[in-house]
Parts: sequence; C-alpha cells; structure tokens
Amino acid sequence: MTAPYAFKLALQSLRKDKWINLLSMLTIFAGLFIISLSYLVFYNVEAATRNLPEKFSLVVYLEDNLPREKIDDVIASVKTRREVGSVTYISKEEAFRELKATLKNSQYVLEGIDDNPLPDSIEVKLRKEAMGSESVRKLAEAAKKIRGVSEVDYGEKFLSTLHDIKNGMRIVGIILAAILSTGIVFVCYSTVKILFYRRNDEIETFKLLGATKGFIRAPFLIEGAAIGTSGGITSLVALYLLQHLVIFRMAVAVPVFRTLLFPADFFLSLPLIGMFLGISGAAIALGRLKY
Amino acid sequence: MMEPAGPMIHFQNVSKEYENLTALHDITFSVGRGEMVFLTGPSGSGKTTLLKLIYLAELPDHGSITISGWDTTTLREASIPFIRRNIGVVFQDFRLLDNRNVFENVSLALRIRGVGEREVKSRVADALKTVNLRHKADSYPRRLSGGEQQRVVIARAIVAEPTVLLADEPTGNLDPDTAEGVLRTFKDIHAKGTTILVATHNRDLYRNSGKRVLRLDAGSLLGGEVC
Repeated sequence: MTAPYAFKLALQSLRKDKWINLLSMLTIFAGLFIISLSYLVFYNVEAATRNLPEKFSLVVYLEDNLPREKIDDVIASVKTRREVGSVTYISKEEAFRELKATLKNSQYVLEGIDDNPLPDSIEVKLRKEAMGSESVRKLAEAAKKIRGVSEVDYGEKFLSTLHDIKNGMRIVGIILAAILSTGIVFVCYSTVKILFYRRNDEIETFKLLGATKGFIRAPFLIEGAAIGTSGGITSLVALYLLQHLVIFRMAVAVPVFRTLLFPADFFLSLPLIGMFLGISGAAIALGRLKY
Repeated sequence: MMEPAGPMIHFQNVSKEYENLTALHDITFSVGRGEMVFLTGPSGSGKTTLLKLIYLAELPDHGSITISGWDTTTLREASIPFIRRNIGVVFQDFRLLDNRNVFENVSLALRIRGVGEREVKSRVADALKTVNLRHKADSYPRRLSGGEQQRVVIARAIVAEPTVLLADEPTGNLDPDTAEGVLRTFKDIHAKGTTILVATHNRDLYRNSGKRVLRLDAGSLLGGEVC
C-alpha cells in the first residue's frame, strides 16, 4: 500500500466519523490534562524543596566547659562526614546574645536568668545530596557518639514528613498517570473497534479484492495516532492558556503564583505521548479483532 | 505468484456444507488456462459457493482446490491476498462502496496492489472505457442504475488485469441488450488470454457461445457440454 493512500483513508474516516473521533480526542485531552496538572504540582513541590538542604541544619550541642582543643576535635570529627557541607561554631555567649536579640520585645522571658543557660554548639549545614531523613538520622547518631557532644538536634519530624509527602505524591502521581494512560489507551482501543465495525463491509470488500492485513490496519493506526496527537496538542494548548490567561493574571493578586514553574520539556512532549498512547490503543484493538 | 503449469482451476472431490446443508458434493472439474467456461444451474444449486471457494471467501470441508497449481487448502493465511490479486471477481451483490465514486471504487483494486497514482488514473480510465462508463467516473453508486453498477463491478474486476475472472450472475440486473454488451466485454477480455468462469442461469448468455457449460444441481455437478 502506498503510504499517501493510507493517510487518505484515515483522513476520510476522521471526517466521516468526526463526532466519535472528536469525543475520543476530548477524552484523551482530559486525561493528559489531568496528568499534566498532577505533574505540575509534583514538579513545583520538588523544585520548592530542592534547595532545602542549604537552609536545613543540624545543631550539635557540646558538653559544658569543653576546652577549646576538644571543641576543635569535635568540629574535625563532624567535618569528616561526607554529608556535611559546612560547620560553624557558636559559643554559648554568642548564642545567648542572639537569643536576647531575638527576644528583645519579650525581655520578660529572660527575667531572673542571670547565668547563661545555653551550651556551646556547632551548626552543621548539609550537602544537597544528603537531604533525606535516613541520611540525616545517621549523621545525627554518628555525631552523638563523638566525645564531647551532649545532644544533637535536627528537624527529624520535618524531614521525614517532607520525605513522606514527596513519596506519597510521587506514588499517587504514578498511579494516577498509570490509570489515566490506561484509560486513554482504552478510549483509543474502543474508538478503533467501533470504527472498524462501522467499516466492516468496506473491509470485507478490501479483503476480497486482495488487501493484506497491513493495508487494512494502516489507516486505523494512523487514525489512532491522529486522535492521540490531537488530544496531546489540545492539552498543550490548554496548559498554555492556563499559564498565560489564569496563572499569570492570578499572580498579580496572589504572589505565590509568580514562583510557579512550568515543566516545558514535559508539556511539549504531550503530543508525542498522546500519539504513542493512540497508536497503542489502535494496535491492541487491531490485534484482538478477527478479520 | 501463479505457476504456468496444469489447469488454471482444478477441483478434486470438493464438498462444502453449511450447518448440515450440503452446498457442494464431491465436485471434480478443471478449467484450462485461457478457457472461458459457463457454470449454470437453478438458484441454490451451489454456483456462488463454488465461486467463493475459488476466490477463497470459503474453504472446502473435503477435497482440494488448486488455482494455477497452488493448493488453496494448504495456503498460509498471509498468502491469501496475493492469490486473490490474480482473481477478478464480479460479485452478485456488487460490493460497491457507496461513499466512494465510480473512479474510487474501480481504483481500489489497484490501490490495494500499491499501483502508483499516474498508472491508477490511466488504467481506471481504460477499464471504464471498456464498460462504456467513462462519463460516470465522478458518480456515486447510488446514482447509477443496476446495469451501470454491474458494469462498474466488471471494471473493478478487470482493471488489474487478473489471470482469472469470476463472474457471479453478471447479467442478473441487465436488459438483454446490455447483457449482450457485457458478454462481448467478457469475450474481449477472454481474447487477451484471461481465464473466465461465468456463473449464470441466463441461457441466452451461453447458448451458441461455443464455450463449455458446467451444470450444477443441488450441489452436484451434472457434467459439462459445449453449447
């Protein structure tokens, strides 16, 4: 079969059964749009938490009256850990000054406290790749074992919650994408099946005239690809409109929208994803049909 | 694809049943290369079934069928389209596609074979000229009379110049003059070396034709004679 004729047959069918095809295309658009929105949320959460390690720190409290050389030993031991980005020593006097500065409007809190109750401490900043509740917990445990360290404080709960939320979002996103992708394939599968049955007489004539299975299949595969691709293009256009007509306008009133990132690479691949799903649905349908 | 030895069509002890109804019973006959044969018999005698077995729309329950040396009962499914491409069929129910005009209907036989656009145009024009329907190329089947539709089917059957032409009641919807014209067309095609098998109950079509006539009755072949 000459390829242009397969395209011609596919175009004729797209025109002839335009309502079925349009409905399928809109369903695919809805599926891809929801997948894209989920990805948009996940992408932004990921981006927002990507720089957290730079802001996140462990505080290693030292035993009282630890001599300076021992403090240096503790700092050196902490620095040997590969998770550690930087280490800053904060003396108890400095910590008390900072506390007073922080509480300058609530001085009554410190009334009656004559002696500095704060210990010397070391602030440990983490490397990006060490971000993760498990690695931070291990670092904290290791730091606790260093002689001269009395306590280690880190946002264990915060880190594990963040980790759980991101993991949860990832799992929900994957499940949602899997369900919707299956749905899209099923829509294409059903559409091609309906179109095939509607053209049964025509296909029977093709066969009797000597058409191969390839000749019969090709227009349906092209049709599946066209429906999927147009669903992808429509969702791409909808996301563009969402970005320019909704998000950008809302950003004037709600500043947080200004920080919203759009994963352009993923969005631009939507037509290709749609085409792949469309061809898959058509191929499955043609594989299951008896002709 | 076709092998140049032996008869073009050969049936050997072929039987075919449809749900306990015997359509054909122990049929044995041959049609030589380039021969034109008429197949006659009353309605329900098995003429259409016999043609369907040749163009592989059906398979026999017993016996074997060879088309140009190829045993169709042992063919792989993927080979069937290529055997069919050597057989032009004038279907009794026409099998014209209503959503395509005459040109497109006739050209289908060539498109399926992957013939290029320019060649499609010239060969379809020639085929339509043969059946005297060139002026109807843009018409849709439903706009045509029964006789015109029949001629479109003939044009589609001959456009790819098949080695075998099967015609199932090709004059069933035609007035005597047009029927005679169709017969003339078949004779012209036959003169070019095409093997033709015409199933008909129209005696005028084969009377004094000088061609062999095979008679079927209730699924059995009663014999053949030259009329």
